[in-house]
Amino acid sequence: MPAQISTLFPALVFLSMTAALWAVFLYVPTEREMGLVQRIFYFHVPAAIAAFIGFFLVFVGSIQFLRTQQARWDRLARCAAELGVLFSLIVLFTGPLWARPIWGVYWRWEPRLTSMLILFTIYVAYLTVRSYGAEAPQTQRFAAVLGILGFVNVPLVYYSVHLWAPEQQLHPRQVELSAEMQHTLYLCFAAFFLLFFYLLQRRMKIEQTSDALAQIRLDLGDEP
Amino acid sequence: MSFTARTLAILHKDILTEWRTKERLSSMVFFVLLVLLVFNFSFELGGFALHEIGPGVLWSAYVFASLLGLNRTFATEQANNCLDALLLAPGDRGAVYLGKMLGNMLFLLVIELLSLPFFALFFNLPVGDYLLPLLGILILGAASLASVGTLFAIMSGNAHLRELLLPLLVLPMVMPAMISCVEATAEVFKQSRVEMLFPHLQILGVYVVIFTTLSLLLFEYVVEE
Repeated sequence: MPAQISTLFPALVFLSMTAALWAVFLYVPTEREMGLVQRIFYFHVPAAIAAFIGFFLVFVGSIQFLRTQQARWDRLARCAAELGVLFSLIVLFTGPLWARPIWGVYWRWEPRLTSMLILFTIYVAYLTVRSYGAEAPQTQRFAAVLGILGFVNVPLVYYSVHLWAPEQQLHPRQVELSAEMQHTLYLCFAAFFLLFFYLLQRRMKIEQTSDALAQIRLDLGDEP
Repeated sequence: MSFTARTLAILHKDILTEWRTKERLSSMVFFVLLVLLVFNFSFELGGFALHEIGPGVLWSAYVFASLLGLNRTFATEQANNCLDALLLAPGDRGAVYLGKMLGNMLFLLVIELLSLPFFALFFNLPVGDYLLPLLGILILGAASLASVGTLFAIMSGNAHLRELLLPLLVLPMVMPAMISCVEATAEVFKQSRVEMLFPHLQILGVYVVIFTTLSLLLFEYVVEE
């Protein structure tokens, strides 16, 4: 990545995050029925979409790694999995905080909540496989297989959980938003996506450097 | 040898070894029995709400027992490097997976059927009356556990911390299948109309087809040295 972009990137993340915070706390009007707590929505939803982007990138990286055996695809899958887990943690934290005043409890075994939790456990398992096996080629292949199966499981998890607790559906199917709310949400989407891709880029850069270091050590005949 | 012939050869070998030792079957059935006991005491069941709790208890016991059995799938092959020899056999290696998968599915089904009378006895559920619809769920449940379970068993067999890794991989992945098994079993005990079972059986069917196909395709990468 050219030098200008890599200095511009963090600045852009900083600016969009600041603007998002301003919009969420000062610009957007308080929602009539739910009150202040509804403002979590602007973090909750973009974090959820970012988590899904992460899981999708794990899928893409895994397929490409098995096809091409190129280390960069493996790096993409590994780093995207970490970020997917991180962003789903944000979702799983902000959800209960929002749920407590609205549903009366922190947790309900509600379809979307349950699906997110199951997906979270799948990708934690993915990271566990990676952490057990260092960076042996075999671990990379195992992880890729898991990254593919895990993503294919997403719709199945969703449908089975939906059938399991249909009457529990508490997430709204459709949300009507005023113009200010829409603007704020778009701004938050932009901020979260920028943050996601910035973190991904940094994380991959670190991994690339450490792979290069391991290679140098190997060339020198030194055990890493 | 054709793909089918090789698959059946592996299946035949596994059934024969199991028939001669009976070590997996006996320990797994006993394990299911123990899990049923543990559940009975931890919920103080005593005859209440068994229709609601029963299916969950039954499938939890099956899932835990299956983990026990799956861990052994490739353990016998690893002694004397038998697995390498199996993989060296000419032709598509998918046959090794499919043979093993069918073997696991068969063992699981036998264990499910053998422990069902104990379940009926302890939980006072007239299981015999529902045997036909239950059989469909048991077969699909065994197939879904075996489909991902066999692939993960060889992965964890090759990895560090093998026994620990398998449940971490299998449990989250089989969650959709297990939810459908429990739901379908509950519908059977509630004596619902057969149509009520279909959506759950559909998910199970789709699950088995997708994950068996994918495992067949990906097996090559898992056993590659």
